[in-house]
Amino acid sequence: MTGNSPFAIPMVHSAVDIMTPFLLAGIGGLFTELAGMLNIALEGLILSGAFFSIVCAAATGSLLLGILLGILCSMALAWLFGAVTLYLRANVFITGLATNLFASGFTVVLAFQLFKTKGVIQFPGIPKLPALVVPAFLQKVPVVGDVLFGHNVIVYITWAIVLVSSVVIYRTPFGLRLRGTGLNAGTIVSLGLNPRRYQMAGILISGLTCGLAGAMLTMELGAFVPEISSGRGWIALVAIYLGNKTPWGIFIASFVFGLAESVSNYAQGAVKVPVDFILALPYVFTVIAMIVYSIFRHARSSRV
Amino acid sequence: MPYLEMKGITKLYPNHMRANDAIDFSLEKNEIHAIVGENGAGKSTLMKILYGLEQADAGSIALAGRTVHIRGPLDANRLGIGMVHQHFKLIPEFSVAENIVLGIEPRKNLLFVDRNAAVQRISEVIASHGFSVDPRARVMTLTVGQMQQVEIVKMLYRNVDLLILDEPTSVLTEQEIHRLFETLRSLRRDGATCIIITHKLQEVMEISDRVTVMRKGKVIAVRRTAEVTKAELSRLMVGRSVLFQIERPKNACGSAVLELVNVTLKQRGRDRALLDAVTLTVRSCEIVAVAGVSGNGLGELEDVVTGLRRITSGRILHNGEDIAGLTPATLRERGFAYVPADRLRRGSSLKSTVTENMIVTSRHRFLRAGFLKGKKIRQFAERLTESFSIDGGPRVPVGTLSGGNIQKVILARELASDSNLVIVSEPTWGLDVASSQFVYEKILEMRKAGAGVLFISSNLDEILGIADTIAVMYRGRIVANLPNLPGLSKERIGEYMLGLRDDFAPAGAQRKDAPA
Amino acid sequence: MKERRSLGELVTGFTGLALTLLLSFGLVVVLIFVLSRTPARTLYFFFVGAFTNSYYLGNMLNVAVPLVFTGLGISVAFKAAVFNLGGEGQIYAGGLAATAVCLALPAANGFLGGLSALAGAAVLSGAIAGVSGLLRMKWNTDEMISSFLLSVAVVLVVNYFITGPLDDPKNNLQSTLAIGAHYGLSGIFPPSKLNSSAFFALAAALLMFFFVYKSRAGYEMRMCGQNREFSRYGGINVSKYLVLPMILSGALHGLGGGLMVLGTYRATIEGFSFGMGWNGIAVALIAKNNPLGVIPAALLFAYLDAGAKAAMINSDITFEIAAIAQSFIFYFVTARALYSLTRIRSRA
Repeated sequence: MTGNSPFAIPMVHSAVDIMTPFLLAGIGGLFTELAGMLNIALEGLILSGAFFSIVCAAATGSLLLGILLGILCSMALAWLFGAVTLYLRANVFITGLATNLFASGFTVVLAFQLFKTKGVIQFPGIPKLPALVVPAFLQKVPVVGDVLFGHNVIVYITWAIVLVSSVVIYRTPFGLRLRGTGLNAGTIVSLGLNPRRYQMAGILISGLTCGLAGAMLTMELGAFVPEISSGRGWIALVAIYLGNKTPWGIFIASFVFGLAESVSNYAQGAVKVPVDFILALPYVFTVIAMIVYSIFRHARSSRV
Repeated sequence: MPYLEMKGITKLYPNHMRANDAIDFSLEKNEIHAIVGENGAGKSTLMKILYGLEQADAGSIALAGRTVHIRGPLDANRLGIGMVHQHFKLIPEFSVAENIVLGIEPRKNLLFVDRNAAVQRISEVIASHGFSVDPRARVMTLTVGQMQQVEIVKMLYRNVDLLILDEPTSVLTEQEIHRLFETLRSLRRDGATCIIITHKLQEVMEISDRVTVMRKGKVIAVRRTAEVTKAELSRLMVGRSVLFQIERPKNACGSAVLELVNVTLKQRGRDRALLDAVTLTVRSCEIVAVAGVSGNGLGELEDVVTGLRRITSGRILHNGEDIAGLTPATLRERGFAYVPADRLRRGSSLKSTVTENMIVTSRHRFLRAGFLKGKKIRQFAERLTESFSIDGGPRVPVGTLSGGNIQKVILARELASDSNLVIVSEPTWGLDVASSQFVYEKILEMRKAGAGVLFISSNLDEILGIADTIAVMYRGRIVANLPNLPGLSKERIGEYMLGLRDDFAPAGAQRKDAPA
Repeated sequence: MKERRSLGELVTGFTGLALTLLLSFGLVVVLIFVLSRTPARTLYFFFVGAFTNSYYLGNMLNVAVPLVFTGLGISVAFKAAVFNLGGEGQIYAGGLAATAVCLALPAANGFLGGLSALAGAAVLSGAIAGVSGLLRMKWNTDEMISSFLLSVAVVLVVNYFITGPLDDPKNNLQSTLAIGAHYGLSGIFPPSKLNSSAFFALAAALLMFFFVYKSRAGYEMRMCGQNREFSRYGGINVSKYLVLPMILSGALHGLGGGLMVLGTYRATIEGFSFGMGWNGIAVALIAKNNPLGVIPAALLFAYLDAGAKAAMINSDITFEIAAIAQSFIFYFVTARALYSLTRIRSRA
């Protein structure tokens, strides 16, 4: 929760929480992108992670087990997506859509089957996500303290994931081959390596991170809301592009989106603008960002 | 006992074409062995099987007497077999070192790539062969010759002693070819064996010890190079004698059809101008060839003359009128015929049918109230397909045709436009002898009919055979503009191409730049 | 000049499609057995229910109508290799536009008013899609992402109008005021909701077929879709065909929405067109982007939809099973491995 310091900025603190699912999905999606595959299934993967993690947590009574099983289910769905695309040679865009559609339908069907309702499902017995415990004085540090501390565990795990991903992508053989697959799969083949293995690995990694992202959504809420992913997977995709397909860039882009949504949340109460317009703000903002980015890139590469 | 023996190798393609038909191929240790044949003879396929990129449907391979199964490049590497591909398998965005160690990266602490160890070992290999490549440089910054060196080092790094080179000279300058041959000889001295696939007989005579001739998937003959002549080889390759000379009757030249006056092209971020005060004239009934090494402005020249790129300054005149800045569409209306170097992406649409390819420039001739007249179009396409002998007919997708036939589609379309200016760029690249001959005939027909031809090419043999005037570009400038008289040699033109000679150098001493 | 396919290719295409459908339906059957306590009854209603009476049948055909329009919209864009991912917003906005026009002209001639409403729908949605096209043309902004993002925003804006300025206070539905009865399209198959918009759909498919394959603009558009560099080299205005197909695609989506309002709903009800945009993509794919093929493809999806509805009403399965069935079709319809059973190789 946002600290007691007089320098606390609740909007920014909130932005860090909001950006986490974007960042998780974005980092996972980055692995697929680097391997040369367009991954629009992030949305469906988040949704399935969200559903299964809270259902499993309720069933097993353990938060950790729930999250792990939720991640496993996301990865299973990701595997399906990857297998059909890579081994049955389907169009990656369409299979991505299929994955989203499947997750949407399957979660509702299963929810109906198990809980007899298609609406919001409350899980009152689920413990809240633990927050990282830090000494009080750290939290009181002006601005930075409030922004960095006081978040739930998953936020910090995410930062660790981003760091590890950065190292893996740029300093390990796996990362080199992954990037090689995306840049020139023919070269990879000529070296005796199998590009599909790396593409599948990228997809499974995205299943992992998206599963975690979804888990965070439902665990924070203590309930499952149909379509809880509500566009976050798409925003993550945009973050990947705007972040120029680098971990650091995605981090920044995710933060910007998080900030935009945080601002629009606070504005909802404060400003007399119709709710729908405010909800639309992040998307409009993203389009504008895209346009600005395109103009910038266009001007830079244009010939004299 | 031969070092390598491939016996009865057969490879079928799904349409039942035999790429390799019961081929026996043997290799002695420590020789440089050339495999020659026209496009489609099956040479590449045979070598791909040897390297594990393809699997034979029948036959066996034995190395030093032991039967081996090569399921992929990793197996091949382990047996000491390496391959330098015709189209480089490099990742331009990666560094030289990254490209070389990809797949067999040296490890630091088990998890990380040990960059320094890689660079060190690679530097040793580079030094021992006298190459001049910086392992840390990004491949995209290298010249074509250097990229090939990277490909060679990539194999040597894997300790191969049998090196296969697939059409290695098709992208190199004369100078770089000499360099390559030196490297091959030095490898032979070190105990390695080389197979070189090529269709350039001159090179076969120069570098190889023995030569195998292939045609239509079969081995036709194996000879010691010292005991055979170019003419014999060519006969074996094609099955009949081929005329090396192109008949070029003298023609009276007329007015200027195309004039470039001080054309300059600059690009932001590049300090050297891509085209630097280029002045060139093409007259009717004249073939003006522009020679050069790729990267020195030939592509840019092609782009600006055809309206695909805007010049920075200067004038381009067609029949006396300034056409600089006009769109390709407008130029088409003026009747430009243009056979581009990029046959597969620019010159044709592989997914579209032959008919659709043929009418793209003349579609306005077949209109009725915004709709296309199907019957007229069909007749047009059928007529052209017949007169140009295009296999497959007007309704097939162009992507299913062979390289020679694709070029015929392009020629048919462009030459049907009856224009007085024809621009062709690398028209016979990758084509076999028969198709090349066809292209030359058509171009000479146009010349006879009064057109002016701008002939951009890096193939000096064909330039010397067909052109009336030869211009040479080096680093964006015209450094020579010579009539094609009998005394003109390839070596001379090569000097211009490498910047060693410059007839138009600015006042001052002749500069001897390093090759571009 | 349609590419005349050889008989072999046609058979391959057909076999592949049949396999896709077989697999997808097979999986649905399995799912029904797992989830339903009365699988036989569910299966009956899912597969046959749509044909059991004129109400179900007519409604099924009615659902196919907007799918034809979104399918056409996507096909046209795909032919030009331009990706309109904003269908959901465009069809929704089209419905609103039609409603707004009718509400603005309460007393005009029914026929002319209806036509204006449709024109308004086409223009608005065409413009929305056109924005993405323009961005692509000017600054190479990815139209797939921009059209999607705009679509989400458009949906929210339309929702605002439905629950705000145009809200019908008299009923509890999230819906606008109803349009005048004289603007509505007459039913042609009572008691179902099937109405004369079906004829519009057929006409649109035919028109698009002629446009794409027989007109000069259609040829130029297809060439741009197959190879832009080649088209530019050949003198085709490539920039034009980055924008035009998007506008056309948007307009078709808008028309679909407008016709849904005039024919079926007589008002813009919240969420009335949700899913039509996404299904349009699948319809286009099954139809292999051929305008005439869109009709059977749309009917296929409508069939799934009707089956799920019938099963839901008469049995114990939830409607979302249709979404699952659709996802299976999406998964398999582009799986080239299924089509390569009788493969004809092409040499490049």
